[in-house]
Amino acid sequence: MLRQKAFFSALTYVGGLLVLAIFIGPIVWFIALAIRPAETAFAMPPQFTFQPGLDAFRHILVNPGTNAPQLVNSLIVAIGAVALNLPFSVPAAYALSRFKVRGKKNIMLWYLGLLMAPPIAFLIPYFILITRVGLQGTYFSMVLVLQTITIPFSVWLMKSFIDEVPSELEEAARVDGARWYTVMWRITLPIVRPGIIVTSMFAFVFAWNNAAFPLVLSSRSTATLPIGTLGYFATSGVTWNFIAAAAVLAMIPPMIIFLVFDRYVVRGLTFGSVKG
Amino acid sequence: MSVQTVLAPQAEKPVRPSFVRRYLPYLLIAPSVIMLLSLIAYPLLFALRSSLYFWNLQIAPQPLTFVGLANYVQALNAFDFRDALVNTLVLSVTGTAIEFAFGLAIALLLLKALPGMNVVRALLILPTTIAPIVVGFLFRYLYDPGGGLITWLLRVFGAPVPPMGLLGSPTTALAAVLFADVWQWTPFFAIVLYASLLSVPDEIIEAARLDRASPLTMLIRIKLPLIRRTAVIIAMLRFMQLFNTFDTVLVLTRGGPGTSTRTLGYSLYEQGLINFNIGLVSAMTWITVLIVNIIVALYVSFAFRNEEW
Repeated sequence: MLRQKAFFSALTYVGGLLVLAIFIGPIVWFIALAIRPAETAFAMPPQFTFQPGLDAFRHILVNPGTNAPQLVNSLIVAIGAVALNLPFSVPAAYALSRFKVRGKKNIMLWYLGLLMAPPIAFLIPYFILITRVGLQGTYFSMVLVLQTITIPFSVWLMKSFIDEVPSELEEAARVDGARWYTVMWRITLPIVRPGIIVTSMFAFVFAWNNAAFPLVLSSRSTATLPIGTLGYFATSGVTWNFIAAAAVLAMIPPMIIFLVFDRYVVRGLTFGSVKG
Repeated sequence: MSVQTVLAPQAEKPVRPSFVRRYLPYLLIAPSVIMLLSLIAYPLLFALRSSLYFWNLQIAPQPLTFVGLANYVQALNAFDFRDALVNTLVLSVTGTAIEFAFGLAIALLLLKALPGMNVVRALLILPTTIAPIVVGFLFRYLYDPGGGLITWLLRVFGAPVPPMGLLGSPTTALAAVLFADVWQWTPFFAIVLYASLLSVPDEIIEAARLDRASPLTMLIRIKLPLIRRTAVIIAMLRFMQLFNTFDTVLVLTRGGPGTSTRTLGYSLYEQGLINFNIGLVSAMTWITVLIVNIIVALYVSFAFRNEEW
C-alpha cells in the first residue's frame, strides 16, 4: 500500500515536471534566444549552453534603441486605455450590481457579446474613420478604440467584486440619511478598491497584449512593442535575437501582473463569471 | 476558493422613489453604453453601406459604383473565403476540444496536492499571459526548418518533418498553428478547471468513495456535472477567441501555404489592409458579424439560461 502510494506520488511529480517542460520550456528557450550569441540561434543540434550576453537588449533599448520608444508607447496606450475606461465602467458596474435594472441580463450579455466580437471586423472602418478625422497615428485613437474591450471587460469583472460587498453596510448608511452618491463614493467604492485595482491590472494586460488595433492605427512614432517587433520581419534572420529581446520585454509586465495577482487569475480571465 | 453563481443583492426599494432614484441606475449605465454604441455603430453602418459598392482604395478614394449584393456573392463564391470559413471552424472546434481535454487532465494532476505542485500551478499560467502575436514569434522560432527546437525534437524521435518545415507544408501548417494555440491556452483551462474542481465539497466526494465509485465514475458522474457551468462558460469564451484568430496567423504563416491556414480574421485583414478592397471586405465583415452573432446568441442563451442576475 505504502509502496503503491510512493509510486503514484512519483508519477505525479513526473507529470508535473513534464507539464513544466512543455509549457514553461518554450518561454525559457525564447529568453535564451535573447541572451545567446546571434550565431548560435539556429545551431543544429541546438546548443543548450552558451555565453549569455545582453547585446540584444543593448541594441533594442540603448544603441540604436529601436524599441525603447515603443516600450513607452505601449505603456502610454495601455495605461490610457485603463484610465479612460474607469469613469465609464465603474458607475455601470455599480448600478448593475446594486439596483433593479430592467433588462439587466440583456445588458450584461450585450457587453459579453462585444468582448467576443472579432476585432478585425472593425479594423478597416476604424482605419478609414480615424484617417478622415485626422487622428491617425495618435495615442488617443488607440486608447479610444481599445474601450470596446476594456469597458465591457471591466464592467463584468468589477460587478463581480461589488456583488460581494454586503449591501447591509450601504443600507445602514442610507438609514442614516446619506445620499446615494455619498454611499457609493464613501462606502462601496473604498471597500471594493482592491477589486478596482485587480480589474485595472487585468484590463491593462488586455490592452497591452492587443496588437490588432495598433497594427492599423499607430504610426512609426506611436507604434507599440508588438508592432515594433513585427518590423524585424522585414529584414533577414540575423535579427532573431532582437525579436526575442523585444518580445521578452513585451512578456514581462503581463507575467508580473499574473504572478502577483495569482489569486484573481481565474476571475480575471473569465471576466468575473467564475470565481477562483 | 469557490465557484458560485453571480448573485446581485438587490437594493431595498425606497418608499417614495424620486425622479433621480428611479432613473439613477440607467444614468449610471448610460455613459458606457453610449460610448460603446458610438464605437461600434459607426464601423458596422460604414461597412454595411460600403458593402453595397465597388470600392477599392487603390483605384479611388471614394466608392465608385453601386453594385447591390455583388460583393456578398463574390465573397461567398471566393474559394479562399470559403476555405477560411472551414479552417476557422476546424481551428475553433478542435482547439477548444483539445485544450479542454488537456486542461482537465492537468487540473486533475494538480489536484493531487503534493508538496511543490503549487509551484507548477503558479507557473503554468504564464503561456496564457503572453500576447498572441508574441506567441507567433515564439513558435516561428521553434518551428524553424533549419534550427527550430521542435523540428529538432521531431527529427530526434524519428518523426518526418516536411522539407519546407512544419509551417511551410500544407499538410502540417494548420496543425502547427493549432498547436501554438493549444500551448498558449491549455493552461487557461487547467487553472480554471482546477479552481472549480477544488470547490467540489469534500462530503460529496467522501460519499461517492463510500459507495466505491471508481475515480473515473467519480469524475464523469459527480465532479464534471458539478462544474458544468464553469466548463460551459470557459469553452464558450475560448471558442469565440479561437474563431477570431488573427494575430498568430499573421506572424506564423500569413494564411499560407496556399489557403491552408487562412482564417476569417486573416482574410479580412488581407482584403482590407493589403488589397484595400473596401467593398468586398465590408461584405465579408458583415458575413462574419452575422455568423459570430448567431453563435454567440446560441451559446450565451444556453450557457446563461438558468442564471439569476
